[in-house]
Amino acid sequence: MPESPMMIGRVTRCSTRGFVGAMQISENALPVFGSLCQAEAQGGRSYVVGLVYDISITDDQFARQLAGLDEVPQEQIADGQLNRQVPVEFSALAVGFHDDDGFHQSLPPQPPLTLASVFSMVPKDGIDFTSELHFLQMILNAPQLPVDELLATTLRLSAQARPEEERERFLLQAGREVARLLAQDLTRLENILRGLRAKE
Amino acid sequence: MSDSSELNAYFGPKRDERPLGIVLDGSLSTGLQVKLDPRYAIEKLAVGRYIVIQSRKTGSTFFGIITDIALGATTPDLLHHPPDAADTFLLDVYSGGVAYATLHVSPMLMLDEEDDQPRPIKTIPSHFSAIYEATAQDVARVFGEEDDEHFYIGTPLDMEDVQVNLDLARFVERSSGVFGKTGTGKSFITRTILAGIIRSGLASTLIFDMHNDYGWSVMDESGREYKGLRQLFPDGRVSVITLDEATSRARGSKFDGILTIGYEEIEPEDIELLASLLGLSDIQTGALYFLYRRLGKKWISKLLDEQYEEEVQNILESGRIVGGTLGAIQRKLESFIPRMGFLVPGEGSKVVTDIFQRLNIGTSVVLEFGNYGNTLAAYVLVANYLTRRIHASYVHQKNLAAGKKGEEPRPLVIVIEEAHKFLDPSVAGHTIFGNIARELRKYNVTLLIVDQRPSGIEDEVMSQIGTRVTCLLDNEADIRAVFSGVSGASALREVLARLDTRQQALILGHAVPMPVVVRTRDYDQRFYAAIGIGEPIDSAGSKQSGADKLFPD
Repeated sequence: MPESPMMIGRVTRCSTRGFVGAMQISENALPVFGSLCQAEAQGGRSYVVGLVYDISITDDQFARQLAGLDEVPQEQIADGQLNRQVPVEFSALAVGFHDDDGFHQSLPPQPPLTLASVFSMVPKDGIDFTSELHFLQMILNAPQLPVDELLATTLRLSAQARPEEERERFLLQAGREVARLLAQDLTRLENILRGLRAKE
Repeated sequence: MSDSSELNAYFGPKRDERPLGIVLDGSLSTGLQVKLDPRYAIEKLAVGRYIVIQSRKTGSTFFGIITDIALGATTPDLLHHPPDAADTFLLDVYSGGVAYATLHVSPMLMLDEEDDQPRPIKTIPSHFSAIYEATAQDVARVFGEEDDEHFYIGTPLDMEDVQVNLDLARFVERSSGVFGKTGTGKSFITRTILAGIIRSGLASTLIFDMHNDYGWSVMDESGREYKGLRQLFPDGRVSVITLDEATSRARGSKFDGILTIGYEEIEPEDIELLASLLGLSDIQTGALYFLYRRLGKKWISKLLDEQYEEEVQNILESGRIVGGTLGAIQRKLESFIPRMGFLVPGEGSKVVTDIFQRLNIGTSVVLEFGNYGNTLAAYVLVANYLTRRIHASYVHQKNLAAGKKGEEPRPLVIVIEEAHKFLDPSVAGHTIFGNIARELRKYNVTLLIVDQRPSGIEDEVMSQIGTRVTCLLDNEADIRAVFSGVSGASALREVLARLDTRQQALILGHAVPMPVVVRTRDYDQRFYAAIGIGEPIDSAGSKQSGADKLFPD
């Protein structure tokens, strides 16, 4: 179990390829697009590693009515954002799992069950997980996802989690791995590589 | 625990654990394609470097040479849409991945621990086998230790502590060649090798020294003086015989005899090789035999001297030869023979027997041409004249030995320069030099040909050259000729074309376990000392041991 992880929600839908979590948390605690999270599975014997690729907030009747007003009182806005009838949903792509042998970059043997706790991944575990880059292929293979942005953001966040002196080397290594995987599509590759350095 | 420097001193330096690259493609005949590890800078590698390939599946070790270096890309799009040169991140990412370097490697030998010596390869390493730069130990294991039969000829490029040793027994066993453009150091390398052969006692040498490079001291372009073979072996292992006494004396050269050839000793076969140099047509060359038959041993004198005009006139009247042909032969011989001071009326110095005897007791003979070296026809005439007769003596001696009526003749290496004049396709088929090159060691006589135009030498003869020591050549035809009859040679062309103009040579063939580019050893005081000036000679012993080593039963 990672040290001092923050719980960010509970699983509402899931499969071995990913899961959807929901939460009732503040804006500051929202997971970030491209960040890594972990959901308990197999009765606590393992954790599925997920990569957040979508965060959605669906409407409810009360919010729709408030939105129609000319002026919404600040108290109502705060209440609508914090005490929501429908929680914020986030979707995560399964890119690995953690068990007694450490991290594995492959699909988990079993998905987390409904209402399993989802935690953000602490930087130390994030660095550990991304020390191997086989999971990049799983991102590239994911259908109907904003793959290129997800790839670039994940790697950029992973670099930022590292000590400053290691960041450039990591990005170079990651960039080479992406180049290896996308060697036949230079235009796409170049876009992703530019994304890697976008907010360095 | 010992530190790494102590361990290195005992075991030799450890191989770099990071491979240069991995084998991706290739074949036994064309060599291997290796993808360079992106962490290595391509600029630090060079053709001619040695590598070791560790087979991934069997653990076998292959030894080879880098023969080409290339750049590649996983997609042709990269050529059309290269990254921005200012974007260093993109350039760094692409380098080694999308854009990569490859090495072309020719595996030559297998170096398994259980084998005493490297073995020629009959297979290639499997896919993804790792290649490493060869250590000094690896190279030393291939080229062995210097001993009586292995002569230190130079060092591999970038490995000054490793000796490349020429297997002299194998070198003299077959005809060999030293090739290279003018000014690339052919004579120095040849002299170095000859010193090794003479010191080893494996064979006698007969050197037709066209430019006075071998016998006595010689100066290079900068005016520095170097010792000749006679000075390196003042104990009698080398004799100098001159054709030009005056020049030899003027140069301060010590000589042991003067060669003169009598007109009566010259045969049509001696003149035939000069046909192109004297401008003799085929008909005129054919007529030489007729004239010799009709005029007898004194045929040259009779053709040149007016007092025999009547006898010559009788031949004309016989109708077997036309006046124009006879006149042309007389004019052409007249323009050449009387100008050569070593050609004398009557009988000459009977030097053939003397030279044969010297050679047969283990003395090498340098034939110094003096100023006659500037006349190619003189050189060709003398080399052809002596070689034919010495070879005949060897054949006779060998036949006696076969019949248990005499001793085996001592192995002989005949050194000729401007070899293409003797081994030109139009003449090589019927000259003594062509025969010697083709008959291999049959009569214990082999050639060491020194030439700047190997493309001028007949293909069949070139294919019989056992060991080729090649300095820089840049003519395409010459490069092709040097590699004729050598399997996998195409890969070495790049190596040859990139030799330095000085003191570098590619050695391949019979006397080395694999092709090797060497920086030839310096011909200086240290070389003189290593050769051991004044070492006593046991001619009888070394003669027998030389013959035994070279031609075992």
